[in-house]
Amino acid sequence: MLFRSSLRYLLRHPWLTALSILGVAVGVAVGVAVDLANASALRAFELSGEALTGRATHQIVGGPGGVPGEMPARLIREAGVPNVAPVVEGTARVARDSARVVGILGVDLLAEAAFRPFVAPGPGTDGGAGGVDPGVFLTVPGAAVLSRGTADALGVALGDTLGLSVDGRPVTARLVGLLDPADGRSASALSNLVIVDVATAQEWAGRESGTTGGEDAPSGSTLRASDAGTLSRVDLIVPGGASGAAMLARVRAVLPPGVEVRPATGQAETLRTMTAAFRLNLTALSLLALVVGLFLIYNTVTFAVVQRRRVLGTFRALGVTRGEVFRLVLGEALAVGVVGTALGLGLGVALGSTLVGLVTQTITDLYFVVRVRELDLSAGSLLRGVALGLGATLLGALRPGWEAASVTPASALRRSTEEDRLARGAGRIAAVGAGTMALGGGLLLIPVPAGSGGIALAYAGLLAILVGFAVTVPWLTRGYAALARPVAGALFGPVGRMAARGITASLSRTAVAVAALTVAVAATVGVSTMVASFRTTVVDWLGSVLQADVYISPPAAVFRRGGGILDAGLYADLAAMPGVARADGIRVRTLDTEQGPVDLVVGRVDTVRTGIYRFKEGDAKTAARDALRGSVSISEPFGFRFDVQDGDTLTLPTDAGPRRFPVSGVYYDYGNDLGVVLMDERMFLRHYRDPGRSGVALTAAPGTTPEALVQAATAVAEGRQQVSVRSNRNLRETSLAVFDRTFLVTHVLRLLAVGVAFVGVLSALMALQLERRRELAMLRAQGLTPAELRRTVVVQTLLMGLWAGVLAVPLGLVLAAVLVFVVNVRSFGWTLAFEVSPLILGQAVGLAVVAALLAGLYPAWQMGRADPAEALRDD
Amino acid sequence: MLRFAPLALVLLVAGCTDTPVSASVSVADALSGDTTGYARADRVRPFAFPADHGPHPAFKTEWWYVTGNLRATDGSGRRFGVQFTVFRSALAPDSARAERASAWAATQLYMAHVAVGDIAGRRFFSQERFARGAAGLAGASAEPVRAFLGSVEMRQAADASGAVPLRLVGSAEGAAFALDARPVKPVVLQGDRGLSQKGAEAGNASYYYAQTRMATTGTVTLPDRDGAAGETVPVEGLTWLDREWSTSALAGGQTGWDWFALHLDDGRDLMLYQLRGREGIKDPLSEGSIVDAEGGKTRLAAAAFSLEPVARWTSPSGAAYPTRWRVRVPSEGLDLAVTAALDASELDATVRYWEGAVDVAGSVAGSGFLEMTGYADTPARRADALARTSTSSASSSAR
Repeated sequence: MLFRSSLRYLLRHPWLTALSILGVAVGVAVGVAVDLANASALRAFELSGEALTGRATHQIVGGPGGVPGEMPARLIREAGVPNVAPVVEGTARVARDSARVVGILGVDLLAEAAFRPFVAPGPGTDGGAGGVDPGVFLTVPGAAVLSRGTADALGVALGDTLGLSVDGRPVTARLVGLLDPADGRSASALSNLVIVDVATAQEWAGRESGTTGGEDAPSGSTLRASDAGTLSRVDLIVPGGASGAAMLARVRAVLPPGVEVRPATGQAETLRTMTAAFRLNLTALSLLALVVGLFLIYNTVTFAVVQRRRVLGTFRALGVTRGEVFRLVLGEALAVGVVGTALGLGLGVALGSTLVGLVTQTITDLYFVVRVRELDLSAGSLLRGVALGLGATLLGALRPGWEAASVTPASALRRSTEEDRLARGAGRIAAVGAGTMALGGGLLLIPVPAGSGGIALAYAGLLAILVGFAVTVPWLTRGYAALARPVAGALFGPVGRMAARGITASLSRTAVAVAALTVAVAATVGVSTMVASFRTTVVDWLGSVLQADVYISPPAAVFRRGGGILDAGLYADLAAMPGVARADGIRVRTLDTEQGPVDLVVGRVDTVRTGIYRFKEGDAKTAARDALRGSVSISEPFGFRFDVQDGDTLTLPTDAGPRRFPVSGVYYDYGNDLGVVLMDERMFLRHYRDPGRSGVALTAAPGTTPEALVQAATAVAEGRQQVSVRSNRNLRETSLAVFDRTFLVTHVLRLLAVGVAFVGVLSALMALQLERRRELAMLRAQGLTPAELRRTVVVQTLLMGLWAGVLAVPLGLVLAAVLVFVVNVRSFGWTLAFEVSPLILGQAVGLAVVAALLAGLYPAWQMGRADPAEALRDD
Repeated sequence: MLRFAPLALVLLVAGCTDTPVSASVSVADALSGDTTGYARADRVRPFAFPADHGPHPAFKTEWWYVTGNLRATDGSGRRFGVQFTVFRSALAPDSARAERASAWAATQLYMAHVAVGDIAGRRFFSQERFARGAAGLAGASAEPVRAFLGSVEMRQAADASGAVPLRLVGSAEGAAFALDARPVKPVVLQGDRGLSQKGAEAGNASYYYAQTRMATTGTVTLPDRDGAAGETVPVEGLTWLDREWSTSALAGGQTGWDWFALHLDDGRDLMLYQLRGREGIKDPLSEGSIVDAEGGKTRLAAAAFSLEPVARWTSPSGAAYPTRWRVRVPSEGLDLAVTAALDASELDATVRYWEGAVDVAGSVAGSGFLEMTGYADTPARRADALARTSTSSASSSAR
């Protein structure tokens, strides 16, 4: 009977049921989508890594410009390592779709089987269409193998050529084989990967000529070791135990200085930690949507209880126990939760496929090239979504369930008694809220050593402040309603006063709606203010850093990190162009360290260069002077990431092995959140036989316009190397465009949180209006017109929306401050200016009012339509 | 002599059991494929040493092939069969070679097969390796005489104008050898002054010479049962070097061959091969030679000898190899019983074949080496086996 009653209720209120389901669904969807996008991006990276690492246990890395090409042969012959595979890695842009970045994996097919079995053609392929003819693969320049999926995506078929751009140099790949990955994992690993022979990869990457010659080879031999170029790394399979340790010792014995062997697993791990802060921040934002969603669920379940107060009272009179009523309500909530969760999962997957693109794009802009962009449907993410949906539903249903169970059979208790209790208790609850906020503030103040889980603690503090604030909302709202009554009365007459009183009369409903809206809008204020602060800081910084007129560099795969090499002759010609007053060459070189990649920025360090930076520790003059004595300067995020200060000593791998460099000066830099080390060119060349330049910044001589220089530079580079020639303004705009792109995900999530809040306000208002049906019907019976009734409802929602907007401002600013000064500092170590924009605050209040008004429209329309006689007959 | 051809065009297999495997090409394809742009063995030519000890990259395929029987000199009386082979295979003819900037660019592919048979221990170790002829990974040269792939290496041990003393180093599955092989007879040019006709058509032939008898000393190292390096045994015995290069040799319809290289105790060295056509019929181009104790060589035509299987051994792969033979060369007064010293001498390489030490009894005693191909490796059967391998490996990796 109870079950049928529930079912009937749910079916008789299809719109309300749908709304509840939608509420749960949206909350779950956001959580699942972000979780999936995060997991996919990580999985994408792991797969990319797995594809490139394969079964290697160890890797040989380092060396001038890479591992010397003769190392594989020496490792086999002199160190007795049976499984040795050379690897040349890189990235390229597709010529006819320059937004598309593909990975280049240069391998020795003959050494691959033990390392990357998916590189081997699958069974069923023969020498014809499907298989790779090793003779062709080894001998035809540019011969490439793609997975069938990638070939389809790129629109190439067997035998076709594919134009690519490596560091701006055009190269041609010839598709000689297609791989049919055995499973989805291999398919993902091979996605957007162009597999070529080591020789081709060397030629494409300009690695065919190493910096060390073969002078020590025996003369007169026809086998005289020619210069075998350089490799990105050499993969090894070393067994465990004593024989493996002995083998590693033999390996170390043959490695030249600056080249080292390290476990293959470490790399994936450090790259994972590189993005940890980024991913955690996304997760936190998705949880924000859930916090808002929790209010929503609370509301929808309460709504269901309120509607059937009398029915439940009757049940109790018929001998149904409190426990049974409680379980009934929870069961209903669960039913809604299950449907909503299922829907949310589907929605989340759909949303996730959009988000994963944004997330991988951001990671590619900031950290490293992620080639895999497909959604990885991990069971873990989906299960978390289910737990989230059902858990939140049950949590949200607890109080309404208890409320339902406490309905006494005698009277089906009037709501007003309970409202009175809440109104009286609001102050006490607010005190608890204040305490919770204080606790949150305390959590934020706990000093945390750099990079040790401080972000999670910061979010816990943030959550405490949010929840604490939310529970003070009833108390604040009561005061607000009292204040608003005369004002509304003056503005709208009795309708206004009635509307304001209604807020207090149903405080348990109105306050929850206001709280939900407040939290959502505050999140908007907080995130927008944080992003705006960040953006202002970056704009300032770009203004001081970009002093030259024209910037020229080969297109880089990872925007923020750069790293392509400018043709040496081209560099000289560009610097020598007439009208160039000053040419600053810059080199970005990534060092492989045990702690992950370290980007080295190399240029002629003098007071002109250091003058463009603002120093956090030390000063420009000292840094420029010390640079010539072998010191380096570091960027703020670098200091944060590795806990290095001015005056410390930094150990960096050089061609001659690890070297210690004193640190002089820490400067502000917002270009690279992994941090960079600034080293003088002359010092760099002393430690690294790697004279290439990544780009050049030209300053125009008086009388020459930047536009003229851009034109001249473009003409000089024409036909030699594809480079981007950017004017100061253009580079500034591009940089900001990338900045904005990296915050796109944040904006999307913020909007979703508002969406959840909107649904929440809508359902809260509907609950409110439905609950007050009789009361309003009574008013109708006493002569209130439907239009007046509608106005009452509209004015009330307006008042609530306005209040939520007003409350959201201080909460949002606190949120922003926490994001800027705590979360950001603990995630990336950046010092940001705090920029409060009146526009953002105004928009927030407007958003709250509009959301509330929109949500109030349907209930108002319904109220006006309701037949007072029927509503009263229920009594 | 015809030795196992380097079917190196079949790749990516190398000892990794759960690796998907590419399909094989047939023996005939490898040896009679596209020959455009390559030099051909279509006439008798003068041989010059040491130049001809080195590579002949204008020809498509080439091999350095050493086999032998060794006895422990530590008093244990143990006996070992060893096989050292380096194959070269041109991936493209000189004319089609692209100008390449990278030293890793290769037009020569090398393959090495090393095997050690521990006769007393009934163990057989074999290993196949591939490498490009570039970046110091594999290669060959005449001065010094050298052919190597990774750590598998043959190198001249001393200066010589004709037959060259060799230093041989090889390893397979934990077993290894390091040997010094000193030729006791001059270089023997097989076939017609070194031109060995393999197919009826002109040019379907190879250039072929041998150092049939090399007094050999050195060490053999065997792994213990756990695979760790175990004992190293001093050894001595006789080895045999075959050198052959060609562009195309086999004709269609030839399914395999049986090849014998026997050191007779009276100082003579007997080489015989028969090419088997369909139904195992001996091809008339089968041939042989006998080298007397002083180094004088006599050619033996197909009709001059007979090879009769007496008993067979079935390998785990299902191939039934004749491991006992009756070998008769009436003109030389030879009626020999040739018996495998270790039945389980099948190389589970890209192409499966049997190659191992044999004992010789009958009219003259001796020892030698026997190679048998085409018993397991008809292309169709091989493809089936490959499909089965990949299926079973897929299921095993799924577990």
